[in-house]
Amino acid sequence: MTATALHPSAAPTAGAPVLLRLESIEKTFVGVRALKGVSLELFAGEVQMLLGENGAGKSTLMKILAGEYQPTAGRIVVRGHEVAGLTPDSAKALGIGLIHQELSLVPALSVAENICLGRMPTNRFGQIDWKRAHELAAEAVGRLGVVIDPGAEVGRLQIAEQQLVEIARVLEWNPEILLLDEPTSALSDAERERLFAVIRRLKDRGVGMIYISHHLAEIPMIADRVTVLRDGSVVGTILPEEADEDRCIAMMVGRSLEDQFPKPVVAKGAPALEVAGLSAGRTLQDLSFTLHKGEILGIFGLMGAGQEEVAAALFGLQKSQGQIRINGQDRLIRTPADAIAQGLGLLTRDRRQSLVPMLTVGPNLSLPWLSNRSPWSALQHRREGEEVQRYIADLKIRPATTTTPVRFYSGGNQQKVILARWMSSGAGILVFDEPTRGIDVGAKADVFTLMGDLVQRGMSVLMISSELNELIGMADRVLVMRSGRVSAELGRHELSQEALLRHAS
Amino acid sequence: MASQRSLPSAPGGAGTRYRDLLLRGGPFIALVILCLFLSMATPHFATLDNMFNITRQSAFTAILAIGQTFVILTGGIDLSVAAVAALSACVTTVLLTTPITLFGYDFGILPAPLAIAIGLGVGCACGALNGWIIARFKIPDFIATLGTMTVLRGVALIVTDGLPVPSFQSMSSGAALPSALIQAGSGSVLGIPISAIIALIVALAGFYILRYRALGRAIFAVGGNREAARVAGIDIGRTKIMAYMISGLTAAIAGLIMVGRLNSANALMADGEELRSIAAVVIGGTNLFGGEGGVIGSLVGAVIIGVLNNGLNLLNVSPFWQRIVQGLVIVLVVIFDQWRRRKTAGGN
Repeated sequence: MTATALHPSAAPTAGAPVLLRLESIEKTFVGVRALKGVSLELFAGEVQMLLGENGAGKSTLMKILAGEYQPTAGRIVVRGHEVAGLTPDSAKALGIGLIHQELSLVPALSVAENICLGRMPTNRFGQIDWKRAHELAAEAVGRLGVVIDPGAEVGRLQIAEQQLVEIARVLEWNPEILLLDEPTSALSDAERERLFAVIRRLKDRGVGMIYISHHLAEIPMIADRVTVLRDGSVVGTILPEEADEDRCIAMMVGRSLEDQFPKPVVAKGAPALEVAGLSAGRTLQDLSFTLHKGEILGIFGLMGAGQEEVAAALFGLQKSQGQIRINGQDRLIRTPADAIAQGLGLLTRDRRQSLVPMLTVGPNLSLPWLSNRSPWSALQHRREGEEVQRYIADLKIRPATTTTPVRFYSGGNQQKVILARWMSSGAGILVFDEPTRGIDVGAKADVFTLMGDLVQRGMSVLMISSELNELIGMADRVLVMRSGRVSAELGRHELSQEALLRHAS
Repeated sequence: MASQRSLPSAPGGAGTRYRDLLLRGGPFIALVILCLFLSMATPHFATLDNMFNITRQSAFTAILAIGQTFVILTGGIDLSVAAVAALSACVTTVLLTTPITLFGYDFGILPAPLAIAIGLGVGCACGALNGWIIARFKIPDFIATLGTMTVLRGVALIVTDGLPVPSFQSMSSGAALPSALIQAGSGSVLGIPISAIIALIVALAGFYILRYRALGRAIFAVGGNREAARVAGIDIGRTKIMAYMISGLTAAIAGLIMVGRLNSANALMADGEELRSIAAVVIGGTNLFGGEGGVIGSLVGAVIIGVLNNGLNLLNVSPFWQRIVQGLVIVLVVIFDQWRRRKTAGGN
């Protein structure tokens, strides 16, 4: 496993005290060994970047450090003292702060209430001093270089703003050990740059940080050391100079990613899906296109250009107007059941929108079989069992069991379960809505490989994405959207980042 | 090609499997322990007579709880079950004891099968109404059924004029409830109470629907993740309505059984039974937020409540203290359940 073992290499901040030492941390959930003896050290004033695929154990490790999970075995040493039985409160008392990947804010409360949660400033009579609370909140947010109204309800803020509030809130405790779990996933470049400025300031103050990210491009910007986790074990720790993209990916997935976009050559077939004048919601005005058999058609647009509503409109999840022809026949799609009956399948932007977490692979896979059937019809237990076995083998779904609820699966494997579902439901047209959001490099390659396999079998793929690279890598054509309409159609040979962005803005 | 990552393929060894069984079979094990304790504490507990006594007493709660399970599995809650039981019971008994005149036609006293069928139909209709209100107007289940619970008690009062049925008047004119109904409530076969047999049949039917019919799977999906169920093409409104209809039907069955036991119905009967049915479901291990659980657990939950009642009576515990013990048991069971869920929770 440890092909590239360069264990705790020379600390760049030589002589800096060790803030945190993990020794052989193990964590077992029912059925899954998430961490298999993880050891690492964090020095004062360093940013240690933690890389790993989904399911490698990064988030689990962070939650153990924040006292949210108890390790099954191993030692945690903070500033030379071993701590046992860490709880969220004692972690906070030790100066460990975690910025969650999933936001942990209370959406119904204001920015100020969220930031001051649990320690609202009070006046002499024990009443909440709202003026002071708002000042504190404004200061906290202001330190990140942004302006957010302290009285605003958090649930109404944009995701990026919420993320910044979350960061501000954790920084308010003045943590000495700061854990950042994908803090930039929702941030724009400018916001990210401001966050990095804050991180650099914290570094100067001697704060040690573990920083999780999927953006390998951030390594040279911020990292002092890079630690790679794979399958719950540390593969190695390297310096940022050594951490070029190829090397990191090779360490993360245990193989080199020669071809991230395995694009097969498939002859274009007959029209599978013809859409004319599709409009829906507030942003989608007028979309027309033809998707052929064996084709991957990309749709690209900047925020608010309408591409976000295409999948919901096509799949009957949202009211829409326009004509839809499938295999040459006019079809009316008003509900997801209609869409499924017409051979459509949807991979939702958010995997949680597609899976029933407490059910196992089987019921999740066969769920669409129930649509358009009588509630009193029999469940196809045997067919379900056979198809589950087949798809687990075909798509290499791990863990390869039929008794584990899907909530214990990693993001990439959950995505495979959803793909298997639509393959088994006989879908001929698959809509991938942001297929790689929140998925790591290795799982991305898996998804693209499968996408290639699907079109080779004569299926059609509509790929709605905001990732330029994957569109360029996979799509046969890309429709660029601007203010609810198609502003350009680019063939495969015309695709480039500049061209896509030029037509989108 | 695809990733070579390997995660452990089997969930634990034999050890975890035993622990899993222990955790899953929690309610049943609790029942066994309770029974063992009571058999040692009092000689009257472990007699055949007493066992049948308990099953007879538990049957009503059990049948309500089975329908309630369907609703709770969808992530809902049905507060109207006891009111539905009372209304169905009242409608049937009124039809059986009072001559009906409608639109100038004199129907007389309806034949027993028809009156019973109408009572069951009323239950289904009440359930359909609950489900429809919830699906159509997107009102929280709790509020909708809180409303219908009150309304249906009112309807039952109107139907019966606020008097017990059969009334003294109708009884003096020779009206009586059919023996089939009385048998269902208080009869027995080879010593086994018929009401308990009915409860078992209802439970098996519920189990069958949940395990082998599309509706059952849809109920789990809707309760487990509404949005995912929608994306997979499941009609959430229809699933909800059907779950509530099943709850209404079982409530009507329970109501008729109670009529048979009491030889009488009134608009305020089965007061508070909706909460007892919810307690049975929760004690039986069904997740109050939906998506996990089943009817067999609820059956066991109802029996636990019945055994507890019976045991406390046999031990001469004062009724005041009985309430305290019952309340504590509900809370303790849920605490245990939460702990169990935490043990099996996690993920990345």
